Amino acid sequence: MAVQKFITGNFYDEAVLFPAVKKVRRGGYKIHEVFTPFPIHGLDKAMGLRDTSLHTAGFIYAITGTATAVGFITWALTVDWQINFGGKPFFALPAWIPITFELTVLFAAVGMVLTFCYLCQLAPFVRKDHFNLRSTDDTFVLVLECTDKTNDAEAMSFLQSIGGQDVQVQYKETGWWLGRYDKDTKRFERKAEAAH
Amino acid sequence: MTIRENYVVPKRFNMIAFTLMVIGLLTIVGLYATHGSKEDPIAQARFWGSLLQNSVYFLLVVNAAMFFICATTLAWGGWQMSFRRVTEAISACVPVVGTICGVILLLICFGGNHEIFHWTDTEHVKHDKILSFKAGFLNKGFFAFMTVATIVLWSLLGWKMRKLSRSIDETPLNVEESKKYIWKNTVWAAVYIIVFSLTVMSSIPWLWLMSIDAHWYSTMYSWYTFASTFVAGVALITLFVVFLKNNNYLELTNEEHLHDLGKFMFAFSVFWTYLWFSQFMLIWYANIPEETTYFKPRAQGIYSGIFWLMFIINFLAPLLILMRRGAKRNYTTVTFMALLIIFGHWLDFFQMVFPGHQKDKVPMMLWDFGVALGFVGLIMFLTGRALSKSPLLAKNHPFIKESVIHHT
Amino acid sequence: MSLLRYESQVRPALVEGDKDYHQVTEDICRPVEARPSKLWWIGFIISVLFLAFGILSVTVEVIYGTGQWNLNKTIGWGWDITNFVWWVGIGHAGTLISAILLLFRQGWRTGVNRAAEAMTIFAVMCAGQFPIWHMGRVWNAFFVLPYPNTRGPLWVNFNSPLLWDVFAISTYFTVSLLFWYSGLLPDLATLRDRAKKKWRKAFYGVAAFGWTGSTKHWQRHEALSLVLAGLSTPLVLSVHTIVSFDFATSVVPGWHTTIFPPYFVAGAIFSGFAMVQTLLVVTRKVLGLEEYITIEHINVMNKVIVLTGSIVGIAYLTELFMAWYSAVDYENFAFFENRLNLNSPYGWSYWIMMGCNVLSPQIFWFKKMRTNLVVTFFMSILVNIGMWFERFVIIVTSVYRDYLPSAWSTYYTPTIWEVGFYMGTFGLFFTCYFLFSKFFPVIAIAEIKHILKRSGDNYKEKMDVVEKEDTIVFAEKQAHDH
Repeated sequence: MAVQKFITGNFYDEAVLFPAVKKVRRGGYKIHEVFTPFPIHGLDKAMGLRDTSLHTAGFIYAITGTATAVGFITWALTVDWQINFGGKPFFALPAWIPITFELTVLFAAVGMVLTFCYLCQLAPFVRKDHFNLRSTDDTFVLVLECTDKTNDAEAMSFLQSIGGQDVQVQYKETGWWLGRYDKDTKRFERKAEAAH
Repeated sequence: MTIRENYVVPKRFNMIAFTLMVIGLLTIVGLYATHGSKEDPIAQARFWGSLLQNSVYFLLVVNAAMFFICATTLAWGGWQMSFRRVTEAISACVPVVGTICGVILLLICFGGNHEIFHWTDTEHVKHDKILSFKAGFLNKGFFAFMTVATIVLWSLLGWKMRKLSRSIDETPLNVEESKKYIWKNTVWAAVYIIVFSLTVMSSIPWLWLMSIDAHWYSTMYSWYTFASTFVAGVALITLFVVFLKNNNYLELTNEEHLHDLGKFMFAFSVFWTYLWFSQFMLIWYANIPEETTYFKPRAQGIYSGIFWLMFIINFLAPLLILMRRGAKRNYTTVTFMALLIIFGHWLDFFQMVFPGHQKDKVPMMLWDFGVALGFVGLIMFLTGRALSKSPLLAKNHPFIKESVIHHT
Repeated sequence: MSLLRYESQVRPALVEGDKDYHQVTEDICRPVEARPSKLWWIGFIISVLFLAFGILSVTVEVIYGTGQWNLNKTIGWGWDITNFVWWVGIGHAGTLISAILLLFRQGWRTGVNRAAEAMTIFAVMCAGQFPIWHMGRVWNAFFVLPYPNTRGPLWVNFNSPLLWDVFAISTYFTVSLLFWYSGLLPDLATLRDRAKKKWRKAFYGVAAFGWTGSTKHWQRHEALSLVLAGLSTPLVLSVHTIVSFDFATSVVPGWHTTIFPPYFVAGAIFSGFAMVQTLLVVTRKVLGLEEYITIEHINVMNKVIVLTGSIVGIAYLTELFMAWYSAVDYENFAFFENRLNLNSPYGWSYWIMMGCNVLSPQIFWFKKMRTNLVVTFFMSILVNIGMWFERFVIIVTSVYRDYLPSAWSTYYTPTIWEVGFYMGTFGLFFTCYFLFSKFFPVIAIAEIKHILKRSGDNYKEKMDVVEKEDTIVFAEKQAHDH
């Protein structure tokens, strides 16, 4: 990943943010990201994001769990070591339903959370830039991506005209890196200066 | 957007309803001629069993609509308001279907046939240690009293709830009045729920259904019956909502509401399975002969085909088909699943009622299906009539606007 | 005007006072960022002392064996299983609130879910202690896991409800933890971005996993929450169901009854909500969060208590009726002699259970009672006493008079070490809760912001015009705008 140039604008009201997102897209600008302090329903659709397929992943993990439980218990109790428990058949399926269910849920939940963390690049010690520290408090931050062709001044005034406040140009690292939030990493500042 | 507030029953709808009722009546007559009028008590029981299964099942299903209303009222739900009148109209079937069911139950109880309810045979009870022990509960007087009292109470309280709903059709309320109105609704809904929990969720299934296998007992039975009929009840509500949408009514109900009804069908199918499994597994596991007698003919005997088919229809189909979000928002899929669920739980009732007295061979289900069609026609007719009697939109209810901008 | 969200003014506001997004952050972060109060220190130290005594008690038991508890009869289970089931039951409210109420779209859950989920996790931790230490030779505890071993390999008995418990409790703990922590991430990021001190930046920086709040992440986060809620809902039911199977799969009179699974679940929710009330009535006061955990929240939770208490009541009566109806001598004896008869050795415990669980919650039919904090607090304690006795009744009255009358023992008196063990779990529970309330936001900040413009006091007041509007006009406007 590299350091890139962005233009950011702050919004404080969803009712302003929604039309702004639509106008930005119609205006031909590319939205890098919108950071919000809480989930806003419909914003993903307004931004034109694809629906997540995390559900499908969860379903696959779930049936893996089911198959693992039924398969393993069947093998252990009917093939590997048969024991007569209370006169029940070796293949005592009703008695295995509870464990099967638990493993289904366990596989699905753990698998999904890991997938979620992987997709969003979330882990301890991972650092990422999100342009404005108030975006986890009360500010919706709309970030436009700049290319060589972007006219900075024009883009900034456009963002202002649709309700953006404190419109700024920012140079930021787009990817993640390992680090701690109490230490400011100098190397990115140097990179950012180089990009000027 | 124009809102069509007044429902007019299409001629074809009533035609179909009457045709179905005629089919039902003819089937009943036919069934009486071939079985009910015979000397053989088991053949007679086959006739009465069919009436019992259908009337009790459809009564509990339409009554579930009132339970839905009262439960959402107590929980202060708002989303279901846009189709509130549909649930009310379905619950308006309770007095008529209830009367029919009550008459059938009393005829079985006081008629000469003891195959269905063994405990009505006083001669037999004298020699049966267990049944004479239970006589304090299983006796004709108490049965009749509970049956009549229950059906009357359901009808009266349902009528009261519907009346409350219609009482504000012409008068918009301000916030203070709304609060009072909600309070009044809550009180009556609470009364209904208490009656419901003392009948459907405890005593009534013991009397009407569990006493067919009079020696057998299971504490889960009533909750199981409730789950079975509630999910079928939600399916029935869904069917009428879809029907009205197709006829360009219920403008304020959209796929968001349908999605939620689909979720209810999905969730309560799983809940039903949970209760089914708990009851079955515990009896299977402990393996006490007095208890396994119930499942022996059903799960392993001649009824096993119906038993497992019913399980697939009521558990696997909703689980796999309704899991996807898209499926719950698709009118065709939801309609298909609603029909399937109503049929599946009807099968469930079939296997609850018949193995207790038709031990040698499974009765031909076509007869029972004909009787069921009669009840379907009756419910169609009564619901359609109730729908046309009051505006389709409970427009002054305090929560209606929440339902209008409902998003799942 | 097109509305994104709307809530009737008939419903009481869920966030009181004049709040905006920033104020919400400030209010909820304040207790985390301020120095702990004296009250906090006193409570924390007392909890740690309890915990220390619990550790001592367990050590004594491990060295000398379960005989130290006075447990010297083959049929006696001491207090352990009662305590275990009691704690597991309490551990049900959290996931219920966050999962089932999420699916039912109950807005009031946002005020209480975070604390309730934390409480769930701590309660399950406490519950887990009992079966583990009850094993006696605790160093062999890993025998419960199905691993390839040199004894055959001889697998664990997958048909045994006790093994189902192992899977159920550990799955429940894991999933609850994941659910809780994934919900915490955004709030930890908020704390991280507000942090001034170095150690705070470091600690919350690591804990927040680098959360940024980008729309795509929120979209996935929402999907994850929904699916986890969908998974947790049957999971909650399954856990106490499986605990009930421990009893119900047996052929012991009073235990073997098919209603046990749903009835145990209802009881678990009942006791869990009571514990949530106990904690939140105090927490909201001490941390000054009365505007977020409002009287309305207390009111609604009391409604759940009266509902679940009544469901449990129906189940008690069903059991009692069926014991008679079954016409089985043993069932009749278990219920009508060992339980119902006040003069039998443990008859009193049945009536404590009935009084605390079924009769006393009925006062919550009245709004005056539901909104009274003192009554709520008192009732929440009473319910938890009642629910402890429910498990006690089930376990003790069914087995203390076995089929062989010579084995009939009347009274079991626990020693200080068994009581100390139980007290120690309270220490563990409250130590964890105090730490949680100090270092984590006890209310889900992002979720409160999510409902603020719908359910916040100041926003609701502005809805007057909409409230008065004719429904059809309103609907037309909404349809026109979309």
